Amino acid sequence: MTENLHIRAQKFFAQSLVEGLSHADQSWLDQHFHECAGCAREIASTQELLHALRTVPVSIPRDLAARTQLRVRLRAQESAQTSHGNFLLWVITGFSWFAGVLSAPLVWRGFAWLGNYLHVPKLAVEMGFVLWWAVPALFAVAAVLHQKGFNISPWRGPN
Amino acid sequence: MTDETQTLAQGLSRRDPGLLDHLIELYQHRLYRYLLFLTGNPALAEDLFQETWIRVLERGHQYNAKSKFESWLFAIARNLVIDVSRRKKMPSLEDLGDKDSNQPFDPPDEHSISALQLLVSRENQQAVQLSLLKIPAYYREVLLLRFHEEMGLEEIAAMMSAPVSTVKSRLYRGLAALKSALPEGSV
Repeated sequence: MTENLHIRAQKFFAQSLVEGLSHADQSWLDQHFHECAGCAREIASTQELLHALRTVPVSIPRDLAARTQLRVRLRAQESAQTSHGNFLLWVITGFSWFAGVLSAPLVWRGFAWLGNYLHVPKLAVEMGFVLWWAVPALFAVAAVLHQKGFNISPWRGPN
Repeated sequence: MTDETQTLAQGLSRRDPGLLDHLIELYQHRLYRYLLFLTGNPALAEDLFQETWIRVLERGHQYNAKSKFESWLFAIARNLVIDVSRRKKMPSLEDLGDKDSNQPFDPPDEHSISALQLLVSRENQQAVQLSLLKIPAYYREVLLLRFHEEMGLEEIAAMMSAPVSTVKSRLYRGLAALKSALPEGSV
């Protein structure tokens, strides 16, 4: 028997384990194993290795499932509270924005009158108005970002 | 998409606590074994096990029921292992193993087999365990998924976001590496 046949048999055997063989190739392989004791031993050894691999004993740490279930439930509660808080924040932010838009003309007139009365430059009055209008929104954005940052950090996982 | 996976996807999307408890119970051995094979480090595998389920909770709405749940679960676990290896600035998954400990897995259940069988199988299993630690983690991973979890090549490829050809070549090379890592005379 030539060396090529043994190499072919080993290649076919590996292929049968990984992706399967055609019927013809499988028949050739079976026939070869009948005739070649060396290859048959090699194959038996690989099969035993795979058996050992399949039966490697791994016992799970005590209470791991229970501890995980508890942690997941706690995180679920935490997330539910956070999402409720987020909803309230969005409602308040929306209301604040709506009220800001409605009151803008009135507030602008107030700022203009105050600027005129105190002889403040027009640019300062305009900046004061923009600041008055933008500060609540900036606070809301800061609160949302803070909350998101607070939520993301535990995702970093174990160190 | 089967009714079962559809129901599972809906439950995950709702963050159903009962369903999550059930899934943790159901997949605890398979997931822990996968993480242990991948990291070779029991403490790290335990941490990652918990993190995986936290991610399942948070990202349950992303499960579209097109793939098997276990593939999605293992993909989450795999990404966490990769994240850890990146954070620790490791060149590969290999370095996650506990180099000081050569016994990452637990001893077999001694009551289930005879004394002679136990002796032979224990020797073989210990040889395989030790050899597994010597081969790269990406070989350990595909060997476990194919021969322990009995996953299909396409399924493994989808889980790893890699071509089927990569999975095949890793399996061939992994088998060869495992065989050559075994001590002389074992198995």
